[in-house]
Amino acid sequence: MAAETPALSLIDVDKRFPGVHALKRVSINIMRGEVVGLIGENGAGKSTLMKILSGVYQPDAGEIRITGHAATFDDAADANRKGIGMVFQEQSLLTNMTVGENIYLGNEAQFTRFGIVDWGRLYAAAERQLAKVQVDVDPRARADTLSFASRQMVELAKALTLEEHAGDHLVILLDEPTSVLERAEIDILFERVRALKSRASFIFVSHRLDEVLELADRIYVMKDGAVVADLNSSEADTTKLHHLMVGRSLQAEYYREPLQRPYRENVVLETENLSLGHAYKNVTFQLHAGEILGIAGVIGSGREELTRTLAGFAPHDSGMLRIDGQSVRLTTPAKAVDLGLGYVPRERRVEGLVLFLPVAANITLADLATFTRNGLINSSEERCIAEGWVERLRIKTPTINTLCLNLSGGNQQKVVLAKWLQAKARILILDHPTRGLDVGAKEEVYDLARAVTSEGLAVILTSDTLEETIGLSHRLLVMRDGEITHRTDAAPGHKPRQIDLIGHMV
Amino acid sequence: MPMDLSLKGLNVGRLRQWLPLATLIILVTVVGVMEPVFLEPSTLLQLASDTAVLFILATGVTFVIMLGGIDLSIQSMASFSSVIVALTIAQLGYVSFGLAVGTGILAGFLSGIAHVKLKIPSFIATLAMGGVLFSAALVASKERSITLGDAERSYQTWVTGSHFGIPNVIVVGLIVLVVAHVLQAHTRFGRYSAAIGAGEPAAYASGVKVDRQKIFAYMLSAGFAALAGVILAGRLSSGSPTLAAEMLLPSIAAVVVGGTAITGGVGSIWRTLVGSLIISVVRIGMTFLSVNIFAQNIVFGSVLVLAVAVTIDRSKIPIVK
Amino acid sequence: MAAEQWCHLQSAALPERVQTLNNSTTVLSSNNARRPRLRRLRIASWAPVIVLLLLCAIISVINPNFLSFGNMVRISQSAMIPLVLGIGATFIILMGSIDLSVEGVLTLAAVILSMLVLNGENANDYGLFAVAAVLIVGAGVGFINGLINVRLKVPSFMTTLGTWFIGVGVANALLGGMATRINDPWIRGLAIERFWGFPWGVWVALLCLLIALIIQNYTRLGRHIYALGGGEELAALSGISVARVRIAAFTIAGVFYAVGGILAAAQLGLGNAQIGNGRLFTTITAVVVGGTSLSGGQGSVLQTLVGVLIVVVLSNGMVLMGVPPSVQIGVQGLMIIAAVALSIDRKLTKIIK
Repeated sequence: MAAETPALSLIDVDKRFPGVHALKRVSINIMRGEVVGLIGENGAGKSTLMKILSGVYQPDAGEIRITGHAATFDDAADANRKGIGMVFQEQSLLTNMTVGENIYLGNEAQFTRFGIVDWGRLYAAAERQLAKVQVDVDPRARADTLSFASRQMVELAKALTLEEHAGDHLVILLDEPTSVLERAEIDILFERVRALKSRASFIFVSHRLDEVLELADRIYVMKDGAVVADLNSSEADTTKLHHLMVGRSLQAEYYREPLQRPYRENVVLETENLSLGHAYKNVTFQLHAGEILGIAGVIGSGREELTRTLAGFAPHDSGMLRIDGQSVRLTTPAKAVDLGLGYVPRERRVEGLVLFLPVAANITLADLATFTRNGLINSSEERCIAEGWVERLRIKTPTINTLCLNLSGGNQQKVVLAKWLQAKARILILDHPTRGLDVGAKEEVYDLARAVTSEGLAVILTSDTLEETIGLSHRLLVMRDGEITHRTDAAPGHKPRQIDLIGHMV
Repeated sequence: MPMDLSLKGLNVGRLRQWLPLATLIILVTVVGVMEPVFLEPSTLLQLASDTAVLFILATGVTFVIMLGGIDLSIQSMASFSSVIVALTIAQLGYVSFGLAVGTGILAGFLSGIAHVKLKIPSFIATLAMGGVLFSAALVASKERSITLGDAERSYQTWVTGSHFGIPNVIVVGLIVLVVAHVLQAHTRFGRYSAAIGAGEPAAYASGVKVDRQKIFAYMLSAGFAALAGVILAGRLSSGSPTLAAEMLLPSIAAVVVGGTAITGGVGSIWRTLVGSLIISVVRIGMTFLSVNIFAQNIVFGSVLVLAVAVTIDRSKIPIVK
Repeated sequence: MAAEQWCHLQSAALPERVQTLNNSTTVLSSNNARRPRLRRLRIASWAPVIVLLLLCAIISVINPNFLSFGNMVRISQSAMIPLVLGIGATFIILMGSIDLSVEGVLTLAAVILSMLVLNGENANDYGLFAVAAVLIVGAGVGFINGLINVRLKVPSFMTTLGTWFIGVGVANALLGGMATRINDPWIRGLAIERFWGFPWGVWVALLCLLIALIIQNYTRLGRHIYALGGGEELAALSGISVARVRIAAFTIAGVFYAVGGILAAAQLGLGNAQIGNGRLFTTITAVVVGGTSLSGGQGSVLQTLVGVLIVVVLSNGMVLMGVPPSVQIGVQGLMIIAAVALSIDRKLTKIIK
């Protein structure tokens, strides 16, 4: 191959966050007219990489080069000007403005004379942009009247306006563009992207390996913050890709498999044909005491929404939900909490803890009634209980009056768990419980999960990685497009292979 | 990394939280130096008496501000309450006070419902409620000020009299201080309010019945405003629809200057006390300096903006609207 | 609403439809069942007009004097100041912020005007220059509002609460509790002299509306204000300078409030520190009742016009029916609650403060 200068390259880019080494000297090249796929599990570093490319983050070390020349991006708009366009999922058009206005948002100056915008010219230009992606949408239509697929195309058209600045080195980042599209719409999107290769290069980030193989010329595989492979898509298949993404064999010790005790007979929670709008339908399963039930699925599988329903944030439309035999509809989290559910959220700092309240206050927040005599909170009792939990769970904090803001992620997670244990929750819903935690903290969470289940608590687990889900769970449900596609046991020593499950997820 | 944060947080936070008290002490000293008569017991008692009404109003609205909301109806509520007292004290005697406060609690309940169930932002709900209350006061009083006669004033000695040289109104203020402090610092309501103000999503997810707490806070705010109106009716021996009209800004200023964050979560009734005293001392100071009474609003407005700018927690609001 | 508005105003012919590929485009071009947002919002923009028409119909049945030309003039006189104030407030609310300083700027403007033109207290007679000076003052206060909001990151309701009182305070300080009678014939003429039957002040208000419409629909600033209201983060990502737009919006609002002050002083014939009392309430009511969303991004000054008319017609109607003004305030309060309750898209806003 001729030694052509890449349109865009990253050289030894490094990025750290408190407790996490997000990018470890990553180097990638994007040639002109290429579609490059970027795959990896959650936490592998894909989104950090995209944010650096789009100017939202600055790298700690390393270089970005555009057609061989070093470049830095002050912010997203700056990245745009230098030839990097972004197409996110459907949320990044302003819904209260028209298609044409969205396409030229921030760039209306070229159509303005004496302060007045010439809408005729702007909409004519918008029509031309839309023609490039061959979509028949009225540029004067408001963005919120369009389908998701159409919005996607409008965003593509908007990204293409950067051609004028970037000339021949325009690079467009496609971030999970297909998660809300139907098959026919995906075909059209891919067709258009291929047609546009003469005008721009693309970076295609997706969880769907088969789609990446279909569209990309080359694929980068990321794992744990590093690029572990760079191969032509003709040389790869989903099995190989998956293997590269995950790599290590399941370490039984890591997930404390020996501590996995059999679950009990009594059913603490069950659902029957549970459905919620377009999110999920006909979900039927049982949860037993002492069991960890893992739910696997990619974005759009419905597992996130199902988890939120069980936690009380989004009541189901139809079907039955029974807790301890009693049929319920959880309209608010308070109802769920009263019934013995405890939600450990993925947004720990927003929904798990009140950061500006001290550790003791957070631990007792779900159970204040126990410390209240004659309407007044008994603070010495509260202090005693809080100290007990800090010791039992080994929470590292200067004092129980330290604001949770000042604890590390792992310790914050332990405070959340302490809160639910104090509230005597019998069913814990763990939503991405180890997200953002370092290895040591993750292991502590696994220990705790084993400990509580051996006491008879039941756990519903939605995790970042399939590996973690398999490692921790007693049984697994796999979801895709809102339905359960597969069920399997995962007893210690008889854990299913990820390969077997992937097919049911994508 | 966590250690760094806590060190930084401790230093700045620690200093910042003592700022209001330090300011009060400095102000008292400065004014005392300018006018030594200020430091005499009789003047100080007068200051405390004058501050009582402001403090009670500010205390009520503190509960709402700690939740992250605002109550723009307190002055109309206080005025309406004074009208209720003036109209009914002759027939109902002491019960008129209960009636006024009861009306306040009801009004607060309605504001709370409008905010929580109809999802109306607090400033609109309370602005509108303020209008309704003002209207009610105008109609009830037939748009005039009602002066109380001797017979009626006999019921108000608990406001106007004094025991052992201490004006009763100061005692009332102290009782309010204790009750409110206990509510805010030692009850579940107070804890839930702080949680809702500092992290509503987490409070919600932890099973706190957020709606209920919010409605209760608005009931407290209007209830205390009504109490303030009752006391005002005693001190001014009259009731009128505009009796407390000028008190909205100083009340909110008192809360904010005392250090309670407008974003909610951080704060206490003690802070409101310090803030109220600061406002009073500044007012007296301006009188001693012969600053135009009309210009005083300029000072208060500027103080308000400055206080918010200093106390606001920028890390909690990524987008300031 | 913007889309429909300038669709009608465009006189240029639409460019030719671009050739599209076979039938593969039908999947994308049709608004299929997965269209995410309902047409509810569009219907909501027309609801206030219907309410206004209904109101007029009902009142004219009860009292046919309502439809007389004299009454129309009275209505326009009552509406001219709220309209101008409402226009200013609309720009701020479209951004997702709130402006409580309306009364402060109006009072300050009225007082300064009364002291600079031919008046009963001093020998000044600056005429048109006074008007210019007052507009600059209004812009200045607005500019300060924007600056504090953006640079000191003080939420708009606190900032404008402060400037509200500062404005009234300065006005008070300037007048020392007195009132200044205005003798300038041009200013007085705004309220007294007529053109085609309506006072000049009404025409001034309509001119303001026209200017506001142009700003709102034909300038980048206007569209950027909508963008901030629709999604400030997205707008910032697209390179829009949020700071500049905010400061500009507050400044423009300040100018409109100052115009309101001039008209108020003309109407009253004097300047005093109470001239602004109660106007904030009417302004916010009008904007909200007109259908402009408090969360920003939806609405228009034309909708505010409808809102103002509803409020004024209701007042006028209540007067014609003998309802005392003291009750009218309460009715306005209930109206604002109803309007907000019916307009807010509840699914969207989870946390309301």
